[in-house]
Amino acid sequence: MTTTDTPRPPSQDGALKRITAFVGAENLSLIIALIILVALIASQSEFFFSARNILNIGQNMAVVGLLAVGMTLVIVSAGLDISVGSMAGAASVVCALVVNATDMVGLGIAGGMALGTVLGLVNATIITVLRVNPVVATLATFSAFRGLAFLIAPGGRPVGVLDPELRFLGSGRVFETEGFPGIPVSFLILLFVAVVAHIVMKTTVFGRSIYSMGGNPAAARLAGINLTSMKFRIYAISGALAGLAGVIVTARTSSGQPASGTQGLELEAITAVFLGGALLSGGKGTIVGTMLAVMLIAVLANGMNLLGIPTFYQLVAKGLLLVAAVAIGQWRLARSERQQAQAAAAGSQ
Amino acid sequence: MSVHLSIKSVGKSFPGVRALGNVSVELKGGEIVAIVGENGAGKSTLLKILSGDYALDEGHVSLDGTSLDGGTPLEAREAGFRLVRQEPEIVPFVSVLENIYIGEMPAGRGGRVDFARMRREATAMLARYGFAGLIDLDQEGRTLSPAQMQLVEILRALKPGAKVVAFDEPTSSLTQRETERLFDLIRQLKADGLAVIYVSHRLHEIMEIAERVFILKDGAPTGDLQIDATSEEEIVRLMVGRDLDAHGMRRKPVEPGEVVLEVEGLSSRWHRDISFSIRAGEIVGFAGLVGAGRTELAKVIFGEYPRTSGTIRIDGETRTIRTPSDAIRANMGLAPEDRKGEGLILVRSVMENASMAVFHKLSRWGILRQAEMLETVEPLVRRLDIKTPSLETEVGKLSGGNQQKVVLARWLAASPRLLILDEPTRAVDVGAKAEIYRLIDDLARSGLAIMMISSEMPELLSMSDRIIVMKDGRISEPVPRHEATEERIVNLALGTAA
Repeated sequence: MTTTDTPRPPSQDGALKRITAFVGAENLSLIIALIILVALIASQSEFFFSARNILNIGQNMAVVGLLAVGMTLVIVSAGLDISVGSMAGAASVVCALVVNATDMVGLGIAGGMALGTVLGLVNATIITVLRVNPVVATLATFSAFRGLAFLIAPGGRPVGVLDPELRFLGSGRVFETEGFPGIPVSFLILLFVAVVAHIVMKTTVFGRSIYSMGGNPAAARLAGINLTSMKFRIYAISGALAGLAGVIVTARTSSGQPASGTQGLELEAITAVFLGGALLSGGKGTIVGTMLAVMLIAVLANGMNLLGIPTFYQLVAKGLLLVAAVAIGQWRLARSERQQAQAAAAGSQ
Repeated sequence: MSVHLSIKSVGKSFPGVRALGNVSVELKGGEIVAIVGENGAGKSTLLKILSGDYALDEGHVSLDGTSLDGGTPLEAREAGFRLVRQEPEIVPFVSVLENIYIGEMPAGRGGRVDFARMRREATAMLARYGFAGLIDLDQEGRTLSPAQMQLVEILRALKPGAKVVAFDEPTSSLTQRETERLFDLIRQLKADGLAVIYVSHRLHEIMEIAERVFILKDGAPTGDLQIDATSEEEIVRLMVGRDLDAHGMRRKPVEPGEVVLEVEGLSSRWHRDISFSIRAGEIVGFAGLVGAGRTELAKVIFGEYPRTSGTIRIDGETRTIRTPSDAIRANMGLAPEDRKGEGLILVRSVMENASMAVFHKLSRWGILRQAEMLETVEPLVRRLDIKTPSLETEVGKLSGGNQQKVVLARWLAASPRLLILDEPTRAVDVGAKAEIYRLIDDLARSGLAIMMISSEMPELLSMSDRIIVMKDGRISEPVPRHEATEERIVNLALGTAA
């Protein structure tokens, strides 16, 4: 079995092989699942392939997708960030307040992302300086940051914001022509962030160090990687992306939302990362896999809505999906450990 | 009671590997049989078949007529086969008593644990085997010394019903005196009519305690001899399949160059006032008992553990070393003792593992340059003759010797001035060992200073230009190679007069 998320020397294989190499052999099963799911839903609902619905899926992906990109870095480094939804909520409020106060969308975006970054640094501080396990640390801030979001929203209520530029960010479309409904701006933002993250994870010292520290922190430290500074950077990025997700929520709903629109998204983001092939123990996972999983989850949620499945069932389904995602990962790990044991038993040469 | 363990034509394969084939041994009560072989010879596989950890593929195993062919660990234990594992699993926050009975606590009325009976039995065992006073049954697992952990593991094995007790490398963490006590126990088990299996690399122990020796090579038996009728030399020959000078190769002396490493007055939690130096081209061996502070010294020098005083100079320049990355900047490399725990990222590729210490050198603006990574790693893989299907293969899938070479490759990529090797040939088989020795010799000849910690006397004696012996956090005067003998080193390590 070859890993697909390691840098590989360029090869002059056929186009199909190159695509497989980019997507990753392990991600093929995700693509197949996605195709089956799409076929299944489309056969039950003719509305599925309508332009409006496709746009809708694309928009829905944006917020979860941004959280999932940050979460990929965190989980590959063998951490976890449960607070992303709460950070997004707080950032959404701050973005609305800043735009209302200054009339400058750019400042609103910067404010939301800056708050997310700061909250991410708070997470990193708790994890590194106070040495609290990441699950517990971000479970605590999951609650604290949500409280913060309500506190900074005057009266704890959504903050309305009417700015056409901001609206464009959330609900706008580009490349709209006759017969083609265009591409949601929010989806393009996600795409841009994901491409950058993919390049960072694959080709930079920072990205490769994340894989090393997640795979074996002791060995990474002895090889000269500063784990503390890595964690600060990783959780800050997760926070910044959560902040951007919050900005998009504000843009879509024309209001800073302390809770609505971001609650429960940490679950979807974590599910997507595991479904995308990351290991709970760290050291494995790719942006490509995560993005495919985000797409799968968005299509699934959309399909369940189109088919009129009640919300309560959908919640159960989301929970089951997380269990399935991690179980598949554990099964893969057990299989690869068996192979390692056999290699070790084979011993010499 | 007449114990009879019968192993008939047993075989076991893993995909692509025949780990064990056609192994037959008979064992009777009152016998002590040693099993020896190199790493990967199949000793562990055989023990794991007997203990029910692995299912056998061919042949039959029975103990006093009870078939253990499809056995589970529980069935094997109940039938009377007990394995004393090399690295016992101890639960840290429960008492010694519960640790002994873990998984097998006797239930009293209403399913409640019969602590009184456990205590009675355990106390009786301690008294019977002369361990009273060595361990407190109410002590928590985390407070135990390695020898006490071993004792808990032994008591687990000796619970009522034991017929065959197998010891897997039992002395690796024991002192001389503790080893003697263990031997007394084994003799008592023999007198009680139990059969004992003793697996060890230490041939002199086998000559002392065993009556028969069963030798495995590449999964097949190559000898089943009475100890009285054989010698260490013969056993080694049957193990490796060729005559071998016990001291292996002898390194040709090198004219040492400039002083590379100078440690002066170094103290830490483990060490008192340590000063020594290593020159370019020189290999300085560090001998000592387990727990003497050698691994800790390596980690203090490398910035992993803090030091309380002392200076470290590299090439005459005083360097501030507080973290491993400081040490790497000061041109040091460390191949740690615990290769899997601290050396390698098993789930990542050979390429990444080999290049991770020099990521910053192989990048521009933080972006790694594929071509330079390849240019760095590929020649090293060839030079060290690392046998791997590709550079993208996960390191966890390589053999022990090749894994160790990947660790060496990582430090060679950093072209250090000082290389610290902690037990460089641990869990490496004989063939790969010779290769690693040759590599270390090459490295020294190319001008590196090498600090080599080792617990293997032949390795120390044949490779080192000087040997420093550690005892209780202090070091001896370096012993030059022409004065170094096994007796002298052992005496320094034990603190006994020569």
